[in-house]
Amino acid sequence: MKRAVTFTREQIAAYAQTSGDRNPIHLDDHFARSVGLPGVIAHGMLQMGIAGTVAAEAAGGGERLRRLVCRFTGMVVPGDIVTFTAELNGPNKIDIRAIKENGEAVLTKSSAEYV
Amino acid sequence: MTEGAVAGRTYPPVTFEIDAERAAAFARAIGADPGQGVPPTFAAVYSLGATAPQLFGDPEAAIDFARLLHAEQEFEWTRHPQPGEIVISQGRIASDMSRRGMRFVLFETETKDASGDEICKSRALFVIRQ
Repeated sequence: MKRAVTFTREQIAAYAQTSGDRNPIHLDDHFARSVGLPGVIAHGMLQMGIAGTVAAEAAGGGERLRRLVCRFTGMVVPGDIVTFTAELNGPNKIDIRAIKENGEAVLTKSSAEYV
Repeated sequence: MTEGAVAGRTYPPVTFEIDAERAAAFARAIGADPGQGVPPTFAAVYSLGATAPQLFGDPEAAIDFARLLHAEQEFEWTRHPQPGEIVISQGRIASDMSRRGMRFVLFETETKDASGDEICKSRALFVIRQ
């Protein structure tokens, strides 16, 4: 399974609203810059949510997922296009990758298990 | 490497109702089909999200939110909750270590259903630049 996602401010704001994680680094450029970021950044958990969606498709349904692990290694900002892939790897295991257009991996050592 | 004073601290259990509308809005935000039920990573809300505010609001844990990075996240599920279900989550600071200007806080949450059976475990590794 593979899905390319163009991150937008609207999607990041929607995730902040529905998840309850309204840390201003995801919503307020001025605040984000004041703490050394280039501007607002996407939640790692939004990336994990998309990775989980792609992994659930690979597993044949979200209810079959039993474990999901993500390591957040890169910053995702509005306009970034990230390609998420979930590939079956041996019995009941799924390898997950998320790579930006410039080749930078934003999720590493990420995987899922399913039944 | 030094260990923080709050390592091992457990917070009071938090009750959360799996709201169908909120789960559907969450599904849309992560590009999932809301018709497919509660997304697995809604655990970010009912498990981690229900308990993390206790950690962040704990003055003795002294987490500097502006310098916080979510470095790793793991969820393990026995099963996934249904809309309308009540779940109870309890958070614990599994470890709190500092080295070379970085503080590593491992925050674990166990989520049980109304019968007391475990449904989800969350492990969040937060890194705080000091």
